[in-house]
Amino acid sequence: MPRPSVPSGAAILFGLFVLGCAHAPVNAPLDRYRPDAGYRFAGLEPGDNTDSLFVVLTFSGGGTRAASLSYGVLKALSETPVLWQGKTKRLLDEVDLISTVSGGSFTGAYYALFGDRIFSEFESRFLNRDIEGELTRALWNPATLIRLASPSFDRIDLAAELYGRTIFEDRTFAALASRPRRPFIVINATNMSLGERFEFTQDRFDLLGSDLSSYPVARAVAASSAFPILLSPITLENYPSPPGYERPEWVQHARGDYNLNRRRYLEAKEWEAYNDKADHPYVHLLDGGLADNIGLRYVTDSIRDADRPGGIRQLINQGKIDKMAVIIVNARTEPSERIDRKPRAPNAAEVAMKTATVAMDNYSFETIELVKDIADAREQALRSVRDCRALLAQRCPAAAPPPALKGMTFYIIEVNFENIADPGEREEFLSLPTSFKLDPSVVDRLVQKGGELLRQSPEFKALLKDLQGAPTAR
Amino acid sequence: MEYLSVHFPETRRVLIDGRDQGRTDRTIELEAGTYTVSLSPSDDVKPKKRRVRLSRTSPIRPKEITFAKT
Repeated sequence: MPRPSVPSGAAILFGLFVLGCAHAPVNAPLDRYRPDAGYRFAGLEPGDNTDSLFVVLTFSGGGTRAASLSYGVLKALSETPVLWQGKTKRLLDEVDLISTVSGGSFTGAYYALFGDRIFSEFESRFLNRDIEGELTRALWNPATLIRLASPSFDRIDLAAELYGRTIFEDRTFAALASRPRRPFIVINATNMSLGERFEFTQDRFDLLGSDLSSYPVARAVAASSAFPILLSPITLENYPSPPGYERPEWVQHARGDYNLNRRRYLEAKEWEAYNDKADHPYVHLLDGGLADNIGLRYVTDSIRDADRPGGIRQLINQGKIDKMAVIIVNARTEPSERIDRKPRAPNAAEVAMKTATVAMDNYSFETIELVKDIADAREQALRSVRDCRALLAQRCPAAAPPPALKGMTFYIIEVNFENIADPGEREEFLSLPTSFKLDPSVVDRLVQKGGELLRQSPEFKALLKDLQGAPTAR
Repeated sequence: MEYLSVHFPETRRVLIDGRDQGRTDRTIELEAGTYTVSLSPSDDVKPKKRRVRLSRTSPIRPKEITFAKT
């Protein structure tokens, strides 16, 4: 009778060594609150990038499909010369802010870290790779299986390691802060407990009493794309507030204004939840798409909310912005629906898929409408003031005119598959899968389509006309 | 949005809850709610701070508040 195999001493030592290494990086505590240090929008030098032309990009979720489409838009912007304030430059060099979710976070983070290197590296480093296959193979590696037995190492940590090693060169947010130039990248995840958007910025990490500088960018991207069930959540520690950090004045005001402004009230409540270290010692993060799958909510909040440090509202109130373009790259699909063709009720998988996506799609649609409403309301306010001043000057010249409102033009530009003119081609793109593995020929078409859809957008054409630029012929 | 116009005999920066939100005699756009308004520099300003509640304003009729020079 064969004897049961006994692990050799070397194998046991190896196992213990691997288990000992099975610790994912944790976020570091902040020793002191420094409002002018760390990765913050206000900390980035604008350089040649003007405030007066303020360009925002948002990259949606949708795996490699979303990453490719947003890369195509970046490429098109790099090929678009504009004339602004006497200088001819690439429109890409005027991009101030990129807000990303899930698949779109790979493109945004890569560009923020490496700039134009993206145009020679990103396709081979990410878009044309079988990330899913690589993750699966890494998962079944014996050393990985031992590490996964540790409570402080999970599937998402494996993914973050792979992204860090093979895509982001193990850079941390200190690398982004030290560049230090725009665009500012906002990588969005979802706080599981609060059900709210969570962004990887020092302003947000201040709330956790944590220093973002030493945190790997790859872990933020992994959190942003941690699709529920397939990948485990990423966990952050919520440390005691550092010396010097105090409750902002707006929180106290907002808590008393529930009936006047519920959104502000809820933001204050969220601030207090993070500040309740005893009740929330940890923060668990999942795919950013659960809270906002197009990355636009950070932008709408920043346009509206004067409480946000270094936000867009502050620049508007300071009269710094003349033109603001928001380019929404939305890789949403709409697979051909068959459930209504069958008499039987949808099965559990179909129900689960609808449960996960219906609310997300509706919310994305309403968010895009919201930013359009904000832009329309601003233009209407401007028209009202101008009309009132003109009427008074004409009919009642002795009356004091209302105070002037700073002129500002919005351009809300949406890149999505719905705008593909050819019905067959539209259907084809709307049926693409969400995965981290696409055929290189599909990636090429998505990259090309991103540029085409941007150039054909009426709002984009209006922006270029106003900037005395024209898209280069393709 | 709500609209606020802050007056002072000289041009000063307007701080809303401690953040620079533009200048005196310019319309400042804020969400509805309660705010603490102050000026910078504030050495010769009276009062140092004012609390305002913004609601039902319009761009044509913003809420107007005035600080005095001491």
